[in-house]
Amino acid sequence: MSLALQVLVSGLGVGGVYGLVAIGYSLLYRLTGIVYFAFGDLVGLGVFAALLVAAGTGPVSQTSVGAGRFLLALLVGLVVCITVSAAGYALAVHPHLVRGSTIGWVAATVALAFAVRSLVGVFFTRPTYVFPDPLPFRDIGRAGFVSLGGATIQVRTFFVLAVAAALALVAGWVVERTKLGRGLRAITADAQGAAIVGVPVDLFITAAFGLAGGLAALAAVVAAPSAPFATDSGALLGVNGLVAALIARFGSLWASFGTGLGLGVAEAAIASLHIGGAELGPEYREVLPIAFALALVAVRSWRASPAAEPL
Amino acid sequence: MTTAAATLARTRSAVAGAAADARTAWSYRATAGLAVIGLAALVPALPFDLRLDRLAATLYLALAAVGLGLAVGVGGVPSLAQGAFAATGAFTAAGLVARQGWPLAPAVVAATLAAALAGAVAGVALARFGGVVVAAGTWLLAWLAAFALTGFPSLSGGAQGLALPGTGGLTPSGHYELALGLTALAVGGYAVLARGQPGLALAAARDQPEAAVALGVPLARLRIGAFTASAAAGGLAGALAVQLAGVADPSAYGPALSAKLFIAVVLGGATAAAGGVAGVLVLGLLTLATEAGGLEGFQAGRVQTLLASVAVLVFLGLGDAGLLPSLRRRCRGAAAQHRPERVAPPPATETSSGGRSVLLADGLAKSFGNLAAVDGVGIELESGSVHALVGPNGSGKTTVLQLVAGSLPVDRGRVALDGVDVTREPVRGRVVGGIVRTLQTTAVVDRHTALENVLVGAGLRRRFGGAWRTLLATPKNRAETAATSAGAVEALESVGLAWAADVPAGELSAFDRRLVMVATALATRPKALLLDEPAAGAGSDDVPRLTALLHGLRTRGVAVLLVEHNLRLVRAVADRVTVLEAGRVIASGAPAEVALDPAVRRAYLGGPGL
Repeated sequence: MSLALQVLVSGLGVGGVYGLVAIGYSLLYRLTGIVYFAFGDLVGLGVFAALLVAAGTGPVSQTSVGAGRFLLALLVGLVVCITVSAAGYALAVHPHLVRGSTIGWVAATVALAFAVRSLVGVFFTRPTYVFPDPLPFRDIGRAGFVSLGGATIQVRTFFVLAVAAALALVAGWVVERTKLGRGLRAITADAQGAAIVGVPVDLFITAAFGLAGGLAALAAVVAAPSAPFATDSGALLGVNGLVAALIARFGSLWASFGTGLGLGVAEAAIASLHIGGAELGPEYREVLPIAFALALVAVRSWRASPAAEPL
Repeated sequence: MTTAAATLARTRSAVAGAAADARTAWSYRATAGLAVIGLAALVPALPFDLRLDRLAATLYLALAAVGLGLAVGVGGVPSLAQGAFAATGAFTAAGLVARQGWPLAPAVVAATLAAALAGAVAGVALARFGGVVVAAGTWLLAWLAAFALTGFPSLSGGAQGLALPGTGGLTPSGHYELALGLTALAVGGYAVLARGQPGLALAAARDQPEAAVALGVPLARLRIGAFTASAAAGGLAGALAVQLAGVADPSAYGPALSAKLFIAVVLGGATAAAGGVAGVLVLGLLTLATEAGGLEGFQAGRVQTLLASVAVLVFLGLGDAGLLPSLRRRCRGAAAQHRPERVAPPPATETSSGGRSVLLADGLAKSFGNLAAVDGVGIELESGSVHALVGPNGSGKTTVLQLVAGSLPVDRGRVALDGVDVTREPVRGRVVGGIVRTLQTTAVVDRHTALENVLVGAGLRRRFGGAWRTLLATPKNRAETAATSAGAVEALESVGLAWAADVPAGELSAFDRRLVMVATALATRPKALLLDEPAAGAGSDDVPRLTALLHGLRTRGVAVLLVEHNLRLVRAVADRVTVLEAGRVIASGAPAEVALDPAVRRAYLGGPGL
């Protein structure tokens, strides 16, 4: 019971970030019909840009950083991620969509992912980095951990989860309530029709790429102090977000976010639970969800009609 | 003695035939390719200290890339999992050699088979999807393989990898010559398959999936084949590369390898047989350039990746045809474009076989939700006659065509061909039986010539056109190819486009492209041909050509079901007319009677008659 609670809370904390990345994949897929393969690495770029401002490229012990400095770092990470994500659409996606070339945007977004990751790697050479924490969570309980009904829980996790949920609400508000959101929904339904009635399609899509990148980067920066961050952590976030989005069929915002949360819990459970005598372990943590998502895709495909190519 | 002599004579004539075919198919490009391979084979003899092991490793990478090129360029499958298939081959071979003590050769064969199996499984899972889901799914597959390798030392030997004892009997120069030979074979195989029946059908399935399915192309099966073949090449490359390196290192077979191979293929040109080789060489040269720039050690790898990625992004932004196709276009652009004169379609000479009932559709019904799109429609087609199906927009004409052709399952009713019930038969079965339809939109492969387009239809019933027979160019395959080409040329002649056989379809006029689509359907030798608005977009000059074509079809005994809005055309060619309104038949009969029917006048003119 206590272990289950521990798994649930830590899983939700990780899953909140997955959920925001999944929202990004789904939103962009429904807008443009592409999978933004560079997305995870762009989120990682945002985290490292923030780290550069907060602590530089040197070794960091998990000491606190001033609130002002952290907010500046957050802002820089946000702006970098929004800018590069939107620029990635303009440079690596749009030209190929115009030509109607699938292999073009697949290759370009993958190349963008590696360009971003290796750029980060040129400056950040250590295997992992510890992101300084602006909030003094480590003073609560035993070094930031409290016992709750026998479970040992990192207090920070609640904060991360709350921020992720708030960001998902922001995304929902933008899509449902703002002029940009109305335009995006119109483009999702019918891009040509939206263009005819005067929606600035390219501008709005570029903005959506920025928005998706910004939200995911914020969540990732807030979550970063919870665990060591490596140059390929962003790519891992991207893979998990893509798994969640694929399971959710690139569906609605809330379906994507919920699947992300569920994926986080599932991974935590796989890594540490003993269910009915079956003992898995950390090595199954990533493998099983990906295998499940692929099997689900396969089953869906063969149940669909042979001529059509739906999800 | 005489039987031996007869066998000898037969063999001699077969060899002579093959030699003659090879001579006619020989091109300057084949000469150039052979020269390049010959020169490359002499490289180990050069008196410099060349890093033959590095060259061999690059060529193994090129072998994997050529295999991937087959899936991407011919199959239209954007696979990001080639690294995972190479890993399957690499760790199968390494495990068998290092742990089971197998000799290299059988281990490599087993590894290739294991990779092919993995590719087949991936193909079954993903073959029915469009490019986006295939890319996402294969990308996850690449990560799955990486996680499995890092998470399970029992598979991969952990962080140190699996060390292979000995050399397996291959020196670095031996590896080099082997890699060169295999890569050359793979490029040749790609070229043969791309031009053969499987490649033409796959290209149609890639560019025009709906049309390809309507022609009975077994899309999923071909794509699974493309996945399997490309994975086998990747596995073979991986298995040999680990023997060359002496160790199977899990970190070398991560998603980065998949991404690098995909980028190499797109960079070199996925639609060119040697595109993968060109892409791998360019990426290798970029690495050499950064090394020459004085970068070393740990940082060098990242700077190289950065520079290569940025270079690829810039190159892709300029255009994504790839290096070799761009080069080829430039060379061809220099040659004068000559276009043969148009000739009038030859007069049909065969006589009608008389109005025999060919196809009977009875009580067809289909609803979409609450909308009864087709409700109890019956139609009979007779050989050598044109049956027109007319009606206002949304009256269900195209749906009737789809029900008859099998593209949509019926809710009720039956379809019989020559008295045999085919209601449960899938599209391909009906096309083989003799029912084929054309689409309302013009669906041709623009990059292919008119003849290559028509060959997709003409090859429908080929028995010896499979990938293996095409690769080996067996005598039966070559004979059948000649017969298929003749059939395709005949189909082009019958629509008056014999002059356009070697013209890329994209360069033809809009109406000529529609006729290419009709010729493709005709090349399947249908008993019943269902045409969906063939005159859509036709100019005033074009309608007489269409009229002549339809008269020609009638004299050849084809039963034609014609959906058409151009009533002048209908009156000129139709033997019978059926009028639909809101999914029901409101009139059927000879054109003159139907035109006077008050219900028809109401439906068309919106009032109670004139």
